[in-house]
Parts: sequence; C-alpha cells; structure tokens
Amino acid sequence: MAVKMVNLTIDNHPVSVPAGTLVVDAAKKVGIEIPVFCYHPKMDPVGMCRLCLVEIGRPMVDRATNQPVLEADGSPKISFGPKLETACTTPVSEGMVVLTENDKVSEARKDILEFILTSHPLDCPVCDKGGECPLQNLTMRFGPGESRFLFDEKMRLAKQVPLGELILLDRERCIQCARCVRFQKEIVDDPVIGFSQRGRALEIVTFSDPGFDSIFSGNTTDICPVGALTTSDFRFGARPWEMNAAASLCTHCPVGCNLTINVRREARAGGRDVIKRIMPRQNESVNEIWICDKGRFAYHFTESEQRLTEPMMRKGSELVAVSWDEALQAAASRLKKAGEKTITLAGGRLSNEDLFNLCQLTSGLGGQYWMHGTMGGGDLLAQVGVGQGTNLGEFGPGSAILVVASDLHEEAPVWWLRVKQAAERGATLIVASARPTRLDRFAKCVIRYAYGEEVETVTSLVPEYKTDVSEAICAGIQGILGAENLVVFFGSDGLGLEGTTALAAACMELLVKTNHFGRANNGLIAVWPNANTQGAFELGYRPAADLASRLAEAQVAYIAAADPAGDDPALAEALRKTGFIIVQELFMTPTARMADLVLPAQAFTEREGTFVSGERRVQRYYPAVRPISGPRPDFQIAAQIAAQLGFSLEERLASLVFQRLSEAMPDFAGLTYQQLAMVEEQWPLIGRHDLYFGGTGYDNHQGLGVQLKPAAQRLEPLNLPDVPELPPLQAPEGAFLVVPITCLYDRGQTLLPTSLLHERMEKPAIYVHPKLATRVGLEDKQSFQLVLNGISTLVQVIFDENAPEGAALLPRSVGVPIQGPALAQKEIVSG
Amino acid sequence: MSGYVLLRHRDIPDLHKLDVYLANGGFAAFKKAVTAMKPEEVLKEVMDSGLRGRGGAGFPTGVKWSFLPNKIWPHYVVANADESEPGTFKDRELLESNPFQFLEGLMLSCYAVQANVGYVYLRGEFWRIAGQIDGCIADLEAAGLLGEKLYGSDYSLRLYTHLGAGAYICGEETALLESIEGNLGQPRLRPPFPATAGLYGKPTVINNVETLANVPPIIERGAAWYRTFGTEKSPGVKIFSLSGNINKPGNYELPLGTTFRELIYTHGGGIPGGRGVKAIMAAGASSTLILANDQSLDTPMDYESTQQLGAPLGSASVIVIDDSVNIAWLVRKTVNFFKHESCGKCTPCREGTFWMDNIARRLISGQGSLKDIDLLYNVASQMQGKCLCALGEFSTMAVASGIEKFRKDFEALVKT
Amino acid sequence: MFRGILEGMRQTLRSFFEKPVTIQYPEQKRPVRARFKGRHVLKRYENGLEKCIGCALCAAACPADAIFVEAAENTDERRFSPGERYASTYEINMLRCIYCGFCEDACPTEAIVLGDNYELSFMDRAASIYTKDMLLEPVPAVDKLTPQSTPPGVFTRSVPEMKDPED
Repeated sequence: MAVKMVNLTIDNHPVSVPAGTLVVDAAKKVGIEIPVFCYHPKMDPVGMCRLCLVEIGRPMVDRATNQPVLEADGSPKISFGPKLETACTTPVSEGMVVLTENDKVSEARKDILEFILTSHPLDCPVCDKGGECPLQNLTMRFGPGESRFLFDEKMRLAKQVPLGELILLDRERCIQCARCVRFQKEIVDDPVIGFSQRGRALEIVTFSDPGFDSIFSGNTTDICPVGALTTSDFRFGARPWEMNAAASLCTHCPVGCNLTINVRREARAGGRDVIKRIMPRQNESVNEIWICDKGRFAYHFTESEQRLTEPMMRKGSELVAVSWDEALQAAASRLKKAGEKTITLAGGRLSNEDLFNLCQLTSGLGGQYWMHGTMGGGDLLAQVGVGQGTNLGEFGPGSAILVVASDLHEEAPVWWLRVKQAAERGATLIVASARPTRLDRFAKCVIRYAYGEEVETVTSLVPEYKTDVSEAICAGIQGILGAENLVVFFGSDGLGLEGTTALAAACMELLVKTNHFGRANNGLIAVWPNANTQGAFELGYRPAADLASRLAEAQVAYIAAADPAGDDPALAEALRKTGFIIVQELFMTPTARMADLVLPAQAFTEREGTFVSGERRVQRYYPAVRPISGPRPDFQIAAQIAAQLGFSLEERLASLVFQRLSEAMPDFAGLTYQQLAMVEEQWPLIGRHDLYFGGTGYDNHQGLGVQLKPAAQRLEPLNLPDVPELPPLQAPEGAFLVVPITCLYDRGQTLLPTSLLHERMEKPAIYVHPKLATRVGLEDKQSFQLVLNGISTLVQVIFDENAPEGAALLPRSVGVPIQGPALAQKEIVSG
Repeated sequence: MSGYVLLRHRDIPDLHKLDVYLANGGFAAFKKAVTAMKPEEVLKEVMDSGLRGRGGAGFPTGVKWSFLPNKIWPHYVVANADESEPGTFKDRELLESNPFQFLEGLMLSCYAVQANVGYVYLRGEFWRIAGQIDGCIADLEAAGLLGEKLYGSDYSLRLYTHLGAGAYICGEETALLESIEGNLGQPRLRPPFPATAGLYGKPTVINNVETLANVPPIIERGAAWYRTFGTEKSPGVKIFSLSGNINKPGNYELPLGTTFRELIYTHGGGIPGGRGVKAIMAAGASSTLILANDQSLDTPMDYESTQQLGAPLGSASVIVIDDSVNIAWLVRKTVNFFKHESCGKCTPCREGTFWMDNIARRLISGQGSLKDIDLLYNVASQMQGKCLCALGEFSTMAVASGIEKFRKDFEALVKT
Repeated sequence: MFRGILEGMRQTLRSFFEKPVTIQYPEQKRPVRARFKGRHVLKRYENGLEKCIGCALCAAACPADAIFVEAAENTDERRFSPGERYASTYEINMLRCIYCGFCEDACPTEAIVLGDNYELSFMDRAASIYTKDMLLEPVPAVDKLTPQSTPPGVFTRSVPEMKDPED
C-alpha cells in the first residue's frame, strides 16, 4: 500500500513526509528541532506544555472557485492564523508553511519556558537529571536569562515522595507533562499513576498497592523531561557526565533487549568500576526504547560480594583455593583420562563463544555435550524460526500472532509490550493458555485449555484438520486464515521438556500447513528461560531427558553456568555418582559445592560476547567494567584447558572465537563482529545532543545485530517432525497436579543479589484455585509440606481465582524444584 | 399570554410541575416534532430561527447540530448545566422553576440529531437541582414522554443527569465530556471536535441550558416568530443576569439588542446611592472590562455590538461596577478565581494564573511596585494565544483590560 | 675606572642600610594578598553543617581533573549538609591542581574556597591527594561535628537557599 506523501516547507526547507505525520516529527526528520516537553514520539500527542508553538500557514483557497489563491508571482498565497499552533498536535498538510525560528516563535518559547521555570526549584546542582535534562538544555537554548518570578513566592512541595520502592517523585521538579501517566496508561496498560487535584496543585499520585505496581516503571524515569522521577537505585548515584557508557544486552530473558550500562570508578568501591545504572539502548526491532524493571535493576549480581574469584579444588573434603595453572592442569588431566566419558553441561546464560569453545573441547575428547534446561524444541527454530527481517513493530492489520502456553507479561515483558501494541494496531492476536493472562484483553480470540491439552489445542488450529472444534478455536482458525503474516510464540507455561518439545513440533506443523514460514514476519518464536538458550540450540546443544543417568555414568562432568543440583534433586543424586565434577560458575551454587574443581567465570559485564535472541537475532555485548581479578571468560577457560590437551582453540578474543564459529556453523556463515556492530538510522531519533525528543536516552552506535535466516528462508528442505501425543494428566486419589509457571521476579541466582526487588519477589508458594484447595484440603495463606517427586518442601498456599481448577501453579526458581507437570501430595504430619 | 418566552414560570405558578407545564401547552412542540416533523425539519427550523448558543460563544445552534456526521452512530446530546461563571445565574432559575421547557428543548435537540440518549451535566453544587431534574425525568418516563417508541413512532429517548465535582473547567465542553466519561476534568485537544468525536468518541452536541430552553417555542411558533425578537444577526430573547453595584440584581429576559443603559437603569433600577457606573463586565469573570461612558452604555447588547467595544457578550452576566470600586481589587478577585479553577493541563494557564495571582495580591496588599503593574500586564499578554482552551485566555481578559483602561487604580495602590 | 668601583660600592653601602626585602621564612611569614589562591578549604555553616552538597560541579569545572567527588543522601538522623545530598568522598589531587579557582566559581553553595595556605609538600604522590577530612574547615564547637542528628522537617530543600553571592 503506497503511503500518500505530503509536501510542505519548514523554515524554507522543502520536506516530503507521509500523510498524518505531525509537524514536529516532519521538522525533526530534516534536522529542525522544535522543542517539546509533553510530546513523545511513541505516544499520542496532547498539546499540554505548549512549548512547541510554531507559526503555521496554509495555502489560501478561494471559497467560490475552490482554487488556490495565487500571489503576483504565481506562488500560492499563504495565510497565517492569528495564533501560533502546537507543532506536536498538527498533522502536516499539502503546501503548509511552517516557521520555527522567527521572533514570534522565539518569544513564545521564552514565555512558556519562563512559565515552566516559575514553579521549578532549579536544584540542578543536586538533581540526578542535571546534565542530561531536557528542561535544562532547552532553557539554556531558548529560555530567558533572568527570572521575573520572586523566589519567595515559589511553591514549596515535597522533595521525596516514594511512588513505590523503585521510583521516587520530586513534586517540585514535576512540570505536569503527563508523559509518565500516559506511558503507564497508553503503552503498558498499567494505569497505576495519575493526576490528582488541579491547577498549580496538580500532582502525580499512585493508586496501586504496592505503590507504582508496574514492571515497566523504570521507563518513566527515562522519558521524564525533568528530574521529577528518579529510580531509588540511581538516586544521587553519579552525575551523568562522570559515567562511561557501554553497550550491552539484557541477560534475563530471550528478548535480548539492548542496554546501555553506565559505569563509574568509585573510591568507596576501592577504585573498582561500579555500574551506576542501566538504560535501554534503542533498537526498534527488539525493544524500541523500553526495558522492564528486571532488566533495569537486576544487574547487581555481577557486583555481588559472593562472586567466585579463585579457582578451587577439592583436597580432602574441603574446596581450597588453587592457582589457575594448577586448576587448568587438573581439569586437563581428568578430562584426558575420561576421554569420551566426558559430559559437558552448559546453561543458556553462556555466550555463543563460550558454548562454541566448550563443544569444540568436548567433541575433541569424543565426549557428549548437553544443555541444562527443561524446555525443548529449539532445533525446530533453525528450520522455521522467524524469517530475517521480522519486526513485531511492523505488525498491524493483516498480521496475526498466536501465543501458546506463555504468560508473556511475566516471561518476556518487552515481547508482551510489543505483541500488545501490535494487537492495538490491528494485528489479530490469538491467545491460547490454560489460565487468564494479561494478554487476554488485547486478543481477538482467547482459547482456554486444560493443562496437558497444549499440543491438541495447537493441532486443532490447523485449518485442514478442522473437525468438531469449539467456537474459540474456530475464531482462531479464522484469524490465522485471514492473516498474511503469522508469528507463533510458544512457552513452557505448565510444561516440562517433553511437553515443550511436543508443543514446538505442533506449532511448526501449524506454521508449515498454513504456509507461514520461511519469510520475514512469519515463523516460530520460543519464549526461552534464558537469554541465549536459542544460541545453545544453534550450536548443537540439546536438553536431555535422561540427563540423570548420563551424568551418573560420566567420568567427568564439566558444568558451565548451570546448577543441575540446585534445580533438580534427581540430578544432584546423579552427580554424586559422577567421577569428577568441574564447575565453571559465578557463584558457589549447590552444584559448585559438590564439585571437585570450581573455576570462576567472568560476568557478562566484564567481557564481550554474542547472544542469539528468541527472534534469532545475533547481538553483541561489550565489556562495561574492568574485570575483577581472578575470574576468566568461559570461552578462555575452555580454550586453556584445550591447550593443555593439545587442541587449538581460540582463547585470545571473543571476536576471534566468533570468527571460527561463523566458519564452522552454516547458519552463522559470513557473520562478523563488525557486521553485528553496524547501525542504521532509526525512527524516532532519540539520544542526539538535544536529549528531549524521546526523553533521556543515548543513540545506539554499537550495533543492531543481525537476524539469522532460518533454513526455510534459505530454501532448504524442511524436516517436519512427528507431533508426539502427550499422556493425559490425571491426578489419582489423594494427590493433585502441580505445574510449573514462570514469574518475572523469581528467586534465581542472578536476581537474588538485587535487594531492591526483594519485596516483589515470589515466595515459595503455590497458587491454588479455591475449589481445588477444598478438594485437597488446603486453606488460604496456610503453610504446609508439599511433597513433590518425593521431596518435601514447606510452601505457602495462595488462593487464586485465576488458577485453573485442575492444577496448582508453582513458580519456577523459588526454592521448590519442579521440572514439569508433577503429582503432589500434602504431607501428613504424624503426631 | 404575557411576554416571557423563557422565564414563563414568572407568569404561571407551579410551572415546574409536569401537569401544570402540560396544561400550558407543554410538550406540544415535542409531540409535533416526533409525530409530524422529520429530524431535518426540526434542524432547519432552528437554523432558520438564527438561535445562537447562549453559553457564551454565540455559535449558531442549528449549524452546530448540522455538523454531526450521519455515518457515525450513535449520536449524543449533552446539556451543559455546569453554570459556574461568576455573575451568571440564569440556568439555575430555569432549572429550578421551568425545568420542563429546558428538558423539552433537550429532547427536541436529541430528536433533531437522532440521539437516543441525552445527558444533563450539572455542576457539583447543583446537587439539589440534579435531584429535582431526576424527578422530572422520572415524571416524564411515567407519563410516557420518555422511553421507547414515543408517540407510536420508532423514536426512543432516555435522559440522564450527571453531577460534576465542582470544577469550573467542566463547563468547557470537552472537559465536560471527560468528566462524564469518568476522567479527570481537563479539556481535550481539538480537533477532533465533539461534533465528530465527542462523548465516548461519538458525535456529540453540547448545548447550554438556556439555548435548549429556546428550542420548544421556536418549534411551536416557528422561526419567523422567533426572529421578531432581537436583531438581525442576534435574534431572539436572552436572559441577562444582572449583578454587582445595582439596585435590583436578578435575571431579566429581554430581546437581544437592548442597551446597557436600559438594562441598568430601566430594569435594574440604577446604581445604589446614585453613583456613577465605572465599568461593566458583560460576561462574568471572563469579561473584558468595558469602560462605562455614554457610548458604551448606549451600545445594544447583542453579539456583534458588544464585540465592537472589544468585549464579547459571553453569557450576558452583566456585572455593574460603580465608581467606589478599585479595579485592581476586582482584577485580583477574577485572577484568584481563575488560579483556583485552572485545571493545570497546559503550562501558560497553570503557571500564568498562579503568577498573576501572586502579583495581584502583592499589589492589593500595597507591597507592589510600578514594575509589578507592568509585569502583571506582561504575564497576562504572555498567556494570550498560547493556552489549550478558553479558560486561560479568559483569565487574562480582566487583567489586560483593567490595566489598559484603569491603570490609575493600580498605581494608586503602589506606595511611592 | 675607579669611578665605576666607587659607584658599585656606594650602591652596596646604600643597600646595607635599607630595610631588607627578604624575610626569615619559615620563622617569619608574610601575609598573602586578599585574592591569593592557595590550598582549598571546604566551608561549614555556623551550625557546623557542611556547605558542600556533593554536586560535583567543581570536578566538572576543574581543567586539571584534580577533584573527585562521590555523593550520598542525607537523612535527618545522619545529616552532613543542609541539602538532600552531601559529598561522601571529596578528594583533591594537589599535584594536579593548578590553583585556577574555577572550582570556587562553579560551586553553587560557596562551599569550596581557595585559602591562604601555600605550604604544600609531599613525600610521595599518594600524600598529595587531600581527602575530605583534610579539606574541611574545623568545626566551631565539638557538638557541631558532622554528621548531626537534626529534627525532621527543618532541612527540606534540595539545595540550601542562597542569597546573592557575597564578594
């Protein structure tokens, strides 16, 4: 569909922009900066702050003849209105003439800035925004030099109002632009803050309990054009100009949000580099300019005091610190002895480079390598993952999105946001889940199934199998049939390894049968538990159903960035039988405590590497802080062990490892670090010298990443797997079904060190529908011993009307091990 | 029948009772419209009558109704009974004493734009009146004048009242719509105008109570009859709310085009103590001050002539100010009112009214300087032409005109 | 030829009776000029609270990058300065400092003042880094040491109110 272009003139620059563009955006496109406060390119205009007033003229039209009136020289006569108009609310029209620099406009800007400053405390010296503040910048550029407002008549308001434990409000600094209120309402559908009172008494209040209860709350501090909203994490942390910035990636979920990490050397940290804050880095195909609060605040694990700093070897019953040389030698000699009896187990937190070196080392020995995790199906994404060029931001009418077995709001918040916005733009959203999720209200069609029916549900959506199906599924089929593009998200809500593997196959079948694969904006996306689970699949790692027996038989288990013993008691049992355990970790995990050799690894902030996101976008992260002494990057450790064994692996630089990787893996063929670092101009323009247009943010100079082409897009033949049938889930008398769910703030190793989030973290608890509770004999808020897979843990019962009646919900990573749907019992306490 | 068109209750006792209203020809116009006229005919009649909005803007009512697109449904009609302008009390008298004529007007306008739901938005302080209007609506429903399939036609209509929370800004039509929708009472961005996207995003007509009360007589007796009142461009009768330094304050129903002198001296009984008129505010607190002299006193009160004096007629709430009043005091009163009522959405109004109030207070308390007078004037002119809605503009009217025309009053307060 | 010698002797003789320009430093010290820029002092208010609010503008203004500041938040229980924040770390590297006085100009609270002290000598480079304790003005009385415990609601401003700068 061709977009109608409109021609206009802004300050004598001819401009051609699509119809519907606002004057302020059109001006920005040709480098003319119209100052704004309330306007934000990602939100609907409101025209409140009045700073963007410009003079707008339109060609005069003779009412009688409907012909344009011409000047003597034949050019159209332009009539200017008596009043200035707001550039942020006025769409362009043909022949429009916009003047942004004349005296009238400059005077108006000065006037408005003077008005805004009458109530502003001017505490720039201590304000966290000072130095990157739109109000400061615009005042310096357009504002009056002197105040005519009497200092003693300034409003004195509260300086420190905690809206929640994460966000603080300074009422004096607030200029009532409503960006935060609108962001919460329009963009993330969490209208938990709003205005109260009126006139000069207008103030931001929160009306949720706990305060500012939104997982996207941190973004309001970025878009706030003054220092009114600050995070309690960064408050008084550093002045913006003192910090260094490094480009990075979020490691908490598979979205792969682009981050900027701000770092400063600190005396109180003994001269160490300290991460002061994390901000989103614009990538319009991934996270636009948003990140969730988990991504923003949960970086403290990298600076934790509990980090491992020295290699440790078991001598007697104790783990004692040893030198790297000794450790590497010990590892090499053990591995050499074990040979093909080596098993390598890697977690989805590792970078591609680490995973590559680890698998090279293991294959060199003839051993086997596996991925630690309970979600499968990633190999199918190499065939029918979303095509190169996929961008959820382009989804609108004619596109469809199916979300199966995933509560995106909790599992991958930014995907939730983008799927929601796609649905609001007109894309057909089909949500299939066993329980209500936050996505339901944006869906055209909601399919509700019982846990265990996931595969069946997806299969029934294949139009050609259309048999006796429910109304909701019919609507789903209609939605899929009517769509040009279809993306399927599948998750692991209530599913284990077996279930997710089967579900992935079912989803692939649906995509293939409806011909939605092998091209941009079509294909499969997996909602992985880790940032680089997809990368591990690409490099040949697979989760093993029989991992316990394999571990038990192994002579050496080389475990990197995984905690099998902590996650699964059965694996802990198996590890007791393993000959020798090497653990490469950040922390002393339960697995590390069982190890014979512990090798400290560097955190992602200390080194560089690449991840593959769920959308199969390969992205780079850069070192943000100088590494603490001791730990080494995972890929280097593997290479150094390999060197002892006589294999040549690249140990010097991640980029060199990646070079070998791209030579070895067909999917990565031709990719280089330079390509991953390439950028192109993105819209809206954010983070140039002005810093006001989209709020405080910095330009992305460090790379947008490259999306891999799935096999189908490379026109390779497909290999359609059979869709296995899952055994029905039935709880016998005296037991009940418990399924795992994923919650955003769990109690995982990388989240716990962020004390700021402790209040919001899940407790060891199960969510039970009152009816199920009655059947089992549980009461609300009661603590009881839950027996799951033969292990008894004390958990709390939380009544939840949204939980299905057939199964209780147990969040993953809260201290109660669960791998998949399982039968549970209430322990009878004798006596 | 005596001369009253709108304030008929002054002739007919108990007109606020349905049976009395019906006995005096009530709802004849509505019946005629629903049974014998097409909606377009009703609209045309009102358009022909030249009736102009009585809320202040003076926009031709029929034209306003005709803006509603016929492609988007449903349509809504909202009666603006948020009468909050200082010095305006005409709607209150109509609502209290002649409610059925207003309701009939509302029903006629609903019919004309084929709206099946009409709202009466009352200011928060009108809670007692709201109860009364609810009673009236219940009576009408009981009498079969509201409900489904009226007079056997296909037309159905329901009316509802909505009580505000005491904010002046909700008299602004888009803020009023926000308030009905349950949001914070702040004006919306225009365009889109309410005629295309109003209440709940649907085409909406918003009319003042007095405007609607004019509609039944127009339908009943025809546009030509209505045009016998008033002037060519401002036909009809208008209720003038007269207050201030006047012997007989109150509502006066007079044809548009009556002069200020006639209103003040003939009807209002002159100024107490025989003092001279110093200034006139023709539109309540939002007025531009009119310097009283022979020329201005003999100006006819219609939309065009008053505008010639540089002061819009507005809602015709005439506040008479005699020569004992210091205009600076008056200006401070208006500014303080607007500071209190500014919704705070747009910067110039939120900050400007607050600032002007500070300066005016300083001047009144004798702490100001000559520079402050200039500053006050400056701030007022700095606000003009930049605000989101009319409230901000109105707040500067009395200030600017007061300093322009009565600067001496301000200077008198400055200690030298 | 003698003339020249005599002229020289006369000069010498005259100088002999003149008041000497040199002084017996360090026993004797000459007062510095009013605008002399010597070693920095961090000032306090009369109530003992530090004037410095840890804004780091001095560090930003410093052309020699000699100043390093880290800020932390005041509480009523532990109050260092009247504002919302204070300098938890304040260091000046005196070897780097060029005594230009830009820091003094940049300071929004007149907390840093270049004083009269010019007697700076160090035995090693680390000693040239003056910390906050070394730079802070001595307290007027023992009970006015920082941190102080202050009553709530008194210090509510983010930056203490500044009258027009003196001098």
